[in-house]
Amino acid sequence: MLRHALHRLLLAVPVLFGVLLIGFLLMQVVPTDPATVRAGPQASAELIAEIRRDLGLDKPLAVQFGLYLWRLAQGDLGVSIINNVPVVQELGATIGPTLELMLASLFWSIPLGIFLGTLGAYYRGTLIDRGVMAISVAGVSIPVFFLGLILIWYVGFKWQWLPFTGRGGPVWTLDGLRSLALPAITLGGVFVGPVSRMTRTAVLDVLSLDHVRTARAKGLSERLVVLRHALRNAMVPIVTLIGLQIGFLLGGAVVTETVFTWPGVGRLAVGAITSSDLPMAQGTIIVLSLGFILVNLIVDVLYAALDPRMRAA
Amino acid sequence: MSTTVVTMAPARPGLLRRLTRDPGAAVALVFVVVVLLAAIFAPWLSPTDPFDNDLSQSMAPPGTEGLPLGADAQGRNLVTRLLYGLRASLAMGFFAVILGGGIGAALGFLAAFYQRWLDAPIMRLVDIMLSFPAILFGLAIAAILGPGMPAVVLALSVATVPLMARIVRGSALVVMRADYIEAARATGMGDLRLIWRHLAPNCLSALFVFATLRFGQVILLGSALSFLGLGAQPPNPELGAMASEGRNFLFFAPHIAVIPSVAIFAVVLAFNMLGDALRDALDPRLRV
Repeated sequence: MLRHALHRLLLAVPVLFGVLLIGFLLMQVVPTDPATVRAGPQASAELIAEIRRDLGLDKPLAVQFGLYLWRLAQGDLGVSIINNVPVVQELGATIGPTLELMLASLFWSIPLGIFLGTLGAYYRGTLIDRGVMAISVAGVSIPVFFLGLILIWYVGFKWQWLPFTGRGGPVWTLDGLRSLALPAITLGGVFVGPVSRMTRTAVLDVLSLDHVRTARAKGLSERLVVLRHALRNAMVPIVTLIGLQIGFLLGGAVVTETVFTWPGVGRLAVGAITSSDLPMAQGTIIVLSLGFILVNLIVDVLYAALDPRMRAA
Repeated sequence: MSTTVVTMAPARPGLLRRLTRDPGAAVALVFVVVVLLAAIFAPWLSPTDPFDNDLSQSMAPPGTEGLPLGADAQGRNLVTRLLYGLRASLAMGFFAVILGGGIGAALGFLAAFYQRWLDAPIMRLVDIMLSFPAILFGLAIAAILGPGMPAVVLALSVATVPLMARIVRGSALVVMRADYIEAARATGMGDLRLIWRHLAPNCLSALFVFATLRFGQVILLGSALSFLGLGAQPPNPELGAMASEGRNFLFFAPHIAVIPSVAIFAVVLAFNMLGDALRDALDPRLRV
């Protein structure tokens, strides 16, 4: 298990380097000069030259990359071109809401998806199974924004049950919880499909194994066979496959945040890119990538911990 | 000169029949054909020019005389916009799958064929690329190139490369063990020709199934990027961008957002169902 974790960690190093390099190159290809931007519109040529020296912009590219890494290590991601706020400060304010949204979505969609998938496997070949399959293929085909707009139209606008713009406050307040509901239903809604599909496949795979045949031969009821013998053994592949879908969830989160004006990193990133705020765009892309790498690493280690066979390896 | 006797997998008779045994798949197949034709012939089928606007018809609801699907906020005919939007979205998906799938397939074949030297480096590259979700490619490339269709097509292609490489490599490794590859090699056939003539054709079903499923995913992703404002720019018709424009008028004229959204949903659903059915018909063992 230690070796497995170490291997994944080693793989994460070039990925991490790639992310940082892309972030660095992002600032190189743009036509605007960061020193001019930082100095402001009325700055003198001397001031710009001084800032240029301070930022190390007169040094060779490789040295600049080193300086960039050094500043990054100190948590300096530059300043927004649009509103002059430090990028780190904006990121700090948006990471929480994004995590909140993603966790709230997973909180209901994973159990429901596993339930539906198991139901489909249990009643395989029947109408119920076909229903589950239909839900899951529809779930992987519906645009996130469409689901969001439908919920806004009915639940938010027509019936006026729940708010649909912005975040009402921390999740432990009633307003916060109410404002989280629709975005979390939207994002979770597109996650139920993949989870139920993977669960059904994983459970069906296990159902064809020897120990299940033994359990059946013992005279156990089909319900016990599926729940105790198949689902339990299918949990390892299910967890792995859910882990692999985190990128899909992240994409959905960016769209969901935009639809519901949820103050998260994804919406910040989109706003920064469409308004050419490159320092902010760079910061959000770096943070989203790092978050994604970290989650993948956690899933990998978790997977090894879940599967006893992996521990020996 | 040498004549190579090659045992190709026999052409399976009745693929179409097996494919359409499932009524859902049959409907999906017909729908895909209709949509493709509509997209290809959009300029001839459209009643108006996609940029023609008539502000007196702004937000006209579906069913208005002469406007069966209504008009958008600029008073543009939504039948025309839908046809051109489909055309743009399908073209985006097509180029992304061809470009990304082509490069990915080439990498997959090389990794499988030159297993000794190329497999490890190519697969490490694939692993690294798989470490990024498509949305991050989309954000990063849109930040570098600026929002627009080229950025989206490039991002979707890059995100497709590692997936296709893995599928093709897996399929090619199985084919590489077949006797006829050894036989062809014994005739002194060159590597590239061997790959092109004998390895690639026998991996086609896996490649085709994945490309079909990927086409749906790519359209879904691309329309999301356009919805975010990172892809097609208004006033150009593209389904995701049209839904995004319609979002501003959701409470007055929901049809402006709903029509392109339903179109995306239906197209992606049809490609997913068709891909699933193709997989079952061509290769039940293949799970993408």
